[in-house]
Amino acid sequence: MLKTSKEMILLYVFVGLFLLMSAASPSKFLTLGNLQSMATQLPELGLIALGMMVVIITGGIDLSITFTAALSGIVGALVLSSGYSAGVEGTAVIFLIIKALLATLITALICGFVNGLLISYVGVSPILVTLGTMTLFEGMSVWLTKGGAISGFPGQYQWIGNGYLGFIPVPILIFIVFAVLTLILLERTAWGRSVYMFGCNPVATFFSGINTKKVVMLVYLYAAMMAAMAAIIMTSRYNSAKVDYGSSYLLQSVAIVVLGGTDIAGGYGKVVGTVVAAGIVQVLSSGLNLIGINRFMVDVTMGVLLIAVLLLNSFISKRKQGKGVKKEPKKIGIAV
Amino acid sequence: MKQRTKSKELWIFIILVVLSVLISARSNVFLRPDNLIDLLKNNAVLGIMALGMTLVIITGGIDLSVGAAVAVLTVLIGKFMVTFGGNLLLTFLVAVAGGVIIGIINGTLIARANIPAIVVTLGSMSIINGLMLYYTNGSWINDLPAWFIDFGKITLFKFHDAGGNVVGIPIQIIIFLIMALLTWALLKYTLMGRAVYAVGGNPVSAKRVGINIERTLIFVYAYMGFLAGVAAVTHTSIMRQVDPNAFLGFELQVVAAVVVGGASLAGGNGSIIGTVLGVLFMAVLNNGLILTHIPTFWQKIIVGLIIILAVSFDVIQRKRMEKSLPRVDVEY
Repeated sequence: MLKTSKEMILLYVFVGLFLLMSAASPSKFLTLGNLQSMATQLPELGLIALGMMVVIITGGIDLSITFTAALSGIVGALVLSSGYSAGVEGTAVIFLIIKALLATLITALICGFVNGLLISYVGVSPILVTLGTMTLFEGMSVWLTKGGAISGFPGQYQWIGNGYLGFIPVPILIFIVFAVLTLILLERTAWGRSVYMFGCNPVATFFSGINTKKVVMLVYLYAAMMAAMAAIIMTSRYNSAKVDYGSSYLLQSVAIVVLGGTDIAGGYGKVVGTVVAAGIVQVLSSGLNLIGINRFMVDVTMGVLLIAVLLLNSFISKRKQGKGVKKEPKKIGIAV
Repeated sequence: MKQRTKSKELWIFIILVVLSVLISARSNVFLRPDNLIDLLKNNAVLGIMALGMTLVIITGGIDLSVGAAVAVLTVLIGKFMVTFGGNLLLTFLVAVAGGVIIGIINGTLIARANIPAIVVTLGSMSIINGLMLYYTNGSWINDLPAWFIDFGKITLFKFHDAGGNVVGIPIQIIIFLIMALLTWALLKYTLMGRAVYAVGGNPVSAKRVGINIERTLIFVYAYMGFLAGVAAVTHTSIMRQVDPNAFLGFELQVVAAVVVGGASLAGGNGSIIGTVLGVLFMAVLNNGLILTHIPTFWQKIIVGLIIILAVSFDVIQRKRMEKSLPRVDVEY
């Protein structure tokens, strides 16, 4: 049953890279400490990439996702630091943390709602809306923090980003939970089906009686929720909140999604692909770092990898088209 | 169709005028010639890049690598001038050649291998940025030759302002104007210009009337690279030093200016006049926010809101217009 699907190729690449890195520096790469630190770093970018993937499956893009994370993290941090003083202890701290988590989530959902409203109900193209909201959310984050960092959280909050269950870091567990949730939502629910359908053909989806506006709205809310989760891990791991935490994740997350086999034009994309791609990126950046390769060269490697994988995909699909009986008519010339 | 583009530009123009009146009511510095000249000079680079991005967006593509491209070109000419001396013409040639090579690579990958523009340019962005930062380690280049610094100080068409000071138009504004005229003429009067619109508007029909889509796309990205080269020289002549990190995130500013200028990311739509107005709008807005002493914290919020309003307004207006047209097609 092992088809050479895009995801399988990726998995081979992942395993290959993992073995390569282990062989290159077994004393550093294959240590519990390094594996744990990779498992702590991966979830932030991984969660944002999962949110981005759902959006890209509908043929959209969410440029505001990292600043949604920044803004919601900052609001949560404000709640946390303003409610916390030396005297607060016990259950009061737990309640405060829950309040902050809710504040983070609600802020992100409001951001997602604004995106969804403008994209699905007003009908503006996603890249434009999120270009605007990206600037807007960034501005609001700067306005709230006055450009500085917010800190002064209760120690218990740090458990989310730095804690362990046994020897497994908490962030990776959160990531696994949400990856499974995304998998179930996309592949086992009616909403998931309509997300893929909308990405393939919005007009046909509309005419098959699906409330496409609601589907798209939920997509942007879901992406915002993922951003909130990433924000919670980030603020907890750094023990502070700042505007530019995670701002480099924007284009990286798009790269991961595309690397993971999702069609940037919409209609196709698998959770497994995105998760494996996030793993590849993490192994590459940690591994190359440990070998002592300049971190800028890591960016170069990722860019080359991205283009190489897509070139390979396009080459394979061209050969399939050339060889096989004309299953699919060529795009140009038929679409009237 | 033409009517619509025209009315779009008219709207941006009206909003620009209203904004200018509002700002000049709050600040008497705004309308002073030296302020307006500074404003144009400081946005010449954005303007030059936006011209190229207009072409890219008209074909339905996007180029996210422009920030990285212009940054690496400033480093290239900086190193070139410091190492070899050279002269102005050679410097221009080096910058433009570098830009065109980057553009041809992008364009070939997009047109020949059929990879979406956003992905290709995302990849080339991280490759170019990574290589450049690895090579320079983020350090600045100073000690540019004197002739280049002098070139940056050239002003033309000198006149006396109300206070009796001599004011001239800086060379950077002239470069921007020449590039704008060139791009405008290219779009309006050449076969290539027509092909750019055709490819963006409807690739199938474009192919049927015999337009070479691949060649058109490669040309558009190469032209973007050419303008990135010109922008690199212009930027360096203003700053008189090279900062490899100066253009981080610049690509989205360029896209925003083009989009505010009325180009549609779906392709087939957009004009140089619109883009110039879009650039002016962003420039006046930023300048006005500073002059009216609005705290910098508010600036991004306002810019973001304006982008959202501009694009929403456009869609609402188009929907209204479609309603008033007789229905031919089944649409929703």
